[in-house]
Amino acid sequence: MRILDFDYMLGLVPILLRYLPLTLQMAAAGMALALVLSCGLAVIRVLRIPGLNAATMLFISFFRGTPLLVQLFLFYYGLPQVLAFLTQINGITATIMGLTLHFSAYMAESIRAAIVGVDRSQTEAALSIGMTNSQLMRRIVLPQATRVAVPTLMNYFIDMIKATSLAFTLGVTELMGATQKEAAGSFLYFEAFITVAVMYWIIVELLAWFQRWLEGRLNRAYRR
Amino acid sequence: MKRSFAAVMLSGVLGLVGGLAQAADDVLKVGMSGSYFPFTFVEQDTLKGFEVDVMRAVGEELGVEVQFETANFSGLFGMLESGRIDTIANQITITEERQAKYLFTEPYVYDGAQVVVRAGNDEISGVEDLRGKRVAVNLGSNYEQLLRELPFADEIDIRTYDSNIEQDTALGRVDAFVMDRVSASQVIQEKPLPLQLAGEPFSSIRNALPFRDTEADRALRDRVDEALAALREDGTLTAISERWFGTDITRP
Repeated sequence: MRILDFDYMLGLVPILLRYLPLTLQMAAAGMALALVLSCGLAVIRVLRIPGLNAATMLFISFFRGTPLLVQLFLFYYGLPQVLAFLTQINGITATIMGLTLHFSAYMAESIRAAIVGVDRSQTEAALSIGMTNSQLMRRIVLPQATRVAVPTLMNYFIDMIKATSLAFTLGVTELMGATQKEAAGSFLYFEAFITVAVMYWIIVELLAWFQRWLEGRLNRAYRR
Repeated sequence: MKRSFAAVMLSGVLGLVGGLAQAADDVLKVGMSGSYFPFTFVEQDTLKGFEVDVMRAVGEELGVEVQFETANFSGLFGMLESGRIDTIANQITITEERQAKYLFTEPYVYDGAQVVVRAGNDEISGVEDLRGKRVAVNLGSNYEQLLRELPFADEIDIRTYDSNIEQDTALGRVDAFVMDRVSASQVIQEKPLPLQLAGEPFSSIRNALPFRDTEADRALRDRVDEALAALREDGTLTAISERWFGTDITRP
């Protein structure tokens, strides 16, 4: 058993930190777009809008039913063979697109569950005092649904941050790609990968703190 | 919150625009894995290696800027195919399948396929001894093909990897890996992994730069070929090889 090369690990941290912003930006952009898309999909599913409902179910079925890596390869390498203009899409954009479509399929289902999960008596009470449908949604249903949805959505965000590590396959040198290349130069695999693992872990822990704070805020009304 | 979201979305859009703006004639876009020592690897955030030096010299000879794009090896041919790079400098071996689809330059590396085992494993002393063994090769590399063409291929448990085959052999997770002789010797010599060469190389290998089979790319391939010939002539290729390998791998 050899001793860990701590000097190498310490030297690696500032190098890898340069690639952290890209990892976080791809995840944040993917999450923001996925939130918008999944809310739309969830509303379609809840209201069972004819036609769109079936299309949404097909969308969710495909993007939940195939691996993210397959989808990324499909967008980045596959589609440009069919539609030449898609060659213009760079790896970063393709990654963000892939993350958005993939995760919105999951998120739509948990947002739908959160909306449907608001007790029916709440709706009845709101309608009985003369609220319109949109007032009912904005003031009664969505605030309660948000509280339920936040923990699972944060879960997806955490998963998305880690999923950005697939981007090196599309030629995007993010945190994981940078680590792989450094490890290839030094052959100190254990040191390199344990360093990057701890970095991901710290980021996710910071998010977990944020989640606890956010849940505390959303739970204010329920505290005794 | 809102503002920072906007900033991030903007960066996503800028990424798209940046992608659209990339199309210049005086740039040679070269794909490589960045994780194949000593041909292409990264140290202290700097891309280095034999391929990097050769392509820089080619760029200088042609008077064009060389732009390196790194990606996992399994993504490189997809990037070439979808027009995101012009060629691949990653010790690409000329094979019949590849020749049917791509235009190759003249070979600039001559080498052989080599079996490598964990240090102290004297059970395997050549390709014949791979029967019944677990053997690692890089996914999409021609070594997988070479092994599958052996008459006793169905007796070998071939495992394909995206990277880290040296590490898994050193760990004993596979019995051997197959790589080119030159980089295998380099790995053993320079890196702290317990590995040894098993016997002599078993197949001759010629590496060259692949280009798409289009008119424009044919012209580009011809220009690169001329540059390589000039670099061979003036001894640049030999000098680069000596620097990385201590021997000239650019001649048969």
